[in-house]
Amino acid sequence: MPSPDTAQPRHGPFFTLLNKEWRDILAGQTIWVLLLLVSLLVGYSYTQAVTLYGEASKPAQQLPEVARSLSPLDGVFVPTFGALYLANTFLLPFIAIRSIASERQTGGHKLLLQLPCWLSTIVTAKVVALLAVWLIATLPCLTVVALWSSSGGHVGWAEVANLFLGHLLYAAVVVGISFVAAAVAESSATAAILTLAATLGFWVLDFAAAGEGGLLKSLSNLSLTTLLRGFEQGVFSSITMFGALIASAVLIIIAGILIDLRVTLAHKLLTSALAAVFAAGLAAGVAIRPLNVDTTEDGRNSFPPADAATLAGLDKPLHVLVRLAPEDPRYIDFERKVLSKLRRSVRDFAVTLQSDTRSGLFENSDTYGVMVYRYDGKQAESRSTGEGEVLPLIYGLAGIERKAVADRDPYPGYPLQARTDLAQVWFYGLLPLLILAAWVLAHRQATAWPPRTSQAIRSRIRTRRPFHGGM
Amino acid sequence: MFALNDITFTARRGEILGLIGPNGAGKTTLLEILSGLLPADRGSVRWDEIPLPTGRRKHVMFYLPEAVEPYPDRRAIDVLVLFAELFGQPDSRLSGIIEQLALSPVLQTRVAALSKGYRRRLLLALGLLAPQPLVMIDEPFDGLDLKQTREVMAVLRTLCGADRSLLLSIHQLSDAERLCDRFVLLSAGSVRGEGNLEDLRARAGQGHVGLEEVFLALT
Repeated sequence: MPSPDTAQPRHGPFFTLLNKEWRDILAGQTIWVLLLLVSLLVGYSYTQAVTLYGEASKPAQQLPEVARSLSPLDGVFVPTFGALYLANTFLLPFIAIRSIASERQTGGHKLLLQLPCWLSTIVTAKVVALLAVWLIATLPCLTVVALWSSSGGHVGWAEVANLFLGHLLYAAVVVGISFVAAAVAESSATAAILTLAATLGFWVLDFAAAGEGGLLKSLSNLSLTTLLRGFEQGVFSSITMFGALIASAVLIIIAGILIDLRVTLAHKLLTSALAAVFAAGLAAGVAIRPLNVDTTEDGRNSFPPADAATLAGLDKPLHVLVRLAPEDPRYIDFERKVLSKLRRSVRDFAVTLQSDTRSGLFENSDTYGVMVYRYDGKQAESRSTGEGEVLPLIYGLAGIERKAVADRDPYPGYPLQARTDLAQVWFYGLLPLLILAAWVLAHRQATAWPPRTSQAIRSRIRTRRPFHGGM
Repeated sequence: MFALNDITFTARRGEILGLIGPNGAGKTTLLEILSGLLPADRGSVRWDEIPLPTGRRKHVMFYLPEAVEPYPDRRAIDVLVLFAELFGQPDSRLSGIIEQLALSPVLQTRVAALSKGYRRRLLLALGLLAPQPLVMIDEPFDGLDLKQTREVMAVLRTLCGADRSLLLSIHQLSDAERLCDRFVLLSAGSVRGEGNLEDLRARAGQGHVGLEEVFLALT
């Protein structure tokens, strides 16, 4: 079949650029190293998780109460997907940075910027190629689901899908940060340092904000690790999802603005600032009508359906003054069991934390430990940190009855003592071999003729006939 | 302080216009500004008397920088096919350019492994693939020996025609004199003369002398 000989591209510039990006990534070594490491890390995480889960499952066979606490999400999937978190934090940025920085360093971007297409087309092609890379990198994690299921394990599809979404959003923001770093820095090494400084900075922020309130706590709520933690706990939050998507998109747009040589620095800064303001406005708009869904099968993040329905009917602001120190175990317990659920159930809800010390060990006040609930001009006090006491108190303040809604079936728990032999063979043997084979194939593909090369060109090269005497 | 000041000149349809000046004269800066890759404080570009804003310049002009090494990890043929496809050029055109620039022995070689001469030819091939009616090339003969320079000159001459003009930044005056139809003399960020060799000789008050003497007299 003759090669096409037409003055029009076979595909639009986007697909040509996408093909270029894809071949660039496959021709590099980073993606293969990433896949090999993810395979080994996932294998190790899965083996460890399943072993520990099996040990915890032994007493559960006799004790149903113990069985109810065994969730594959916590016991298997979250620790196993943790390998993906490491890859997203430490390896994915290098691939993302390379796709921007290499063209800046070699001057290739000066040619690209003159192509008959928009800069956004060029950047979008890079993003789509990276998304494809990320999806491939998640394949080892997805095989975990198949392995666990085939060994008789239970899979809560909604909670696993939610976990997957959390890692995807995390990766999207990391790619955005990497793009901006690559657009700002003069070299790939500097861009990598900047990206790691940002991602590791979120760790430091979370560590510093642990047990703190105020601005530091508010900032840490915006961190990448906090973003992921919600999904790991089985909570789908529309605010978090759209917030991450908007953050990723605006970072990528800002990177596009910064790599554009055609405008002045002042124009770049102004446009970037406008993009950031627009994104902030968009995020604020998304936050007006939040949607929170507890995707866990045991419903750990939500009140029973009857209470959730009753609380959703509260039409006035509910305020809770918590007289506990941020590091007090009672506060942590109260936050996990009651406050976080109230935030997702009550439309207008606010909490104020009040204490003189950070740990609460040396609090002398008689009112320390008292929670004050205010609703519609009325208030009530309680020292309880359990929903069994708090919810009736709130209903009393609001003057409403608990709605009659059918309760969900009790969570049975899914204890399992599974073998990991097959998983070890797969993750430590077969999968790395498959990845290496794909690496070799990709290398051969990279040295094969590009699909469009005509027979005329190929025959020219085969004969090695020099033109005009050659060089 | 300005890198370029009060620069005005005209490129005519179908000609090879040489942008002549020593290192540091502002040739590269001027080409980058014209192509829109570098923002200017003020000034305008007109195409057929119609103002051409920065965003639309890539539709009529293509600039080939000197110090670029696009996609060093890819083979020469990959880069050529990529740009041929992006520019919508048919295989016959690509094949012809490969032949004109004698690139066939290195098509399977990685760009990073190319000699300086071949790398220069590869870049020229990208410039020749560009469909824009004005192609601007920064130092097209840099890295080429005498024979190669002559060959590339012949290629550039055949490339230039009724539908294509070339603006070449050249610091070797002898090369420029041999190839270009007209010249823009640039020194210290200002135009010191524009025209063909006869015009410039007359302006410099010189007799039958070469471009070097004219340039020295005018700058």
